[in-house]
Amino acid sequence: MARAGAKPVSADLVPVLFVAAAMVAIGAFVAGWRRDLTAAIGSVPLLLGGAGVALVGVARFAASGGPQLVGQEFAVVLAVVSLALVALGVGIAGREGSR
Amino acid sequence: MDSLHAIGFYVSSALSVTGALLVALLPGRGARGAALGLTGVGLAGIYLFLSAGFAAAVALVCYAACAWLVAGPTYRSLDYVVRPPWRQLSAIGAAGMLAGLVYSAFRGDFVHTTFYGGWFNSAAVGRLLFAHDAIATEAVAALIVVALVGATVAWRGRGPSR
Repeated sequence: MARAGAKPVSADLVPVLFVAAAMVAIGAFVAGWRRDLTAAIGSVPLLLGGAGVALVGVARFAASGGPQLVGQEFAVVLAVVSLALVALGVGIAGREGSR
Repeated sequence: MDSLHAIGFYVSSALSVTGALLVALLPGRGARGAALGLTGVGLAGIYLFLSAGFAAAVALVCYAACAWLVAGPTYRSLDYVVRPPWRQLSAIGAAGMLAGLVYSAFRGDFVHTTFYGGWFNSAAVGRLLFAHDAIATEAVAALIVVALVGATVAWRGRGPSR
């Protein structure tokens, strides 16, 4: 049973941007830290996913002056682009690398 | 945003960031692929609790495919030489970028608007993609086709020695 006077849990744009920042920074860390180039390619979905979280958050909480769902549209495109980039990177590494 | 959605958002965020950290730190392609899948599940949850159900479905499929590519049998290692000071410098740079982004998000003064969309929004996003921004969508589609053709050529170009 909820305690009387307890504040409800809420979220707005700032926590969304914190999560986006964390994902982008971890992606940048992976890109610079890994010695294996194919493993470094795993940073691409993290970087683009962080950007997608920020875009969806802005579309949800702070979009004004245009179509409200443009951020969601870009997030969809970023997800597909990240898959294409990983496929290209793994393909090139498969041509040059060793198991 | 009500409490249920907020709790779902925070749980999904924790999953997503944990998966990203595991991608950064785990050895072995299988574990990294599983971590990337966990990141995708968390990311789809974030999108879902931010009323972007269609983006969540697309992200889930794309990240599952990324995880399969990273963990799958076509994966090959490709080592390159980077001296330790540069790696440490890149880690410090990533930490500095995190600090800068968090500070700007914390200190930023953002507009607050009311969201009028539904929870899935596939029709509205489809109208944006194929009517409002059709040329941009076609350009991205062409780039993706080029990337996938390049990946196919690269896979097949290794020859019968494999």
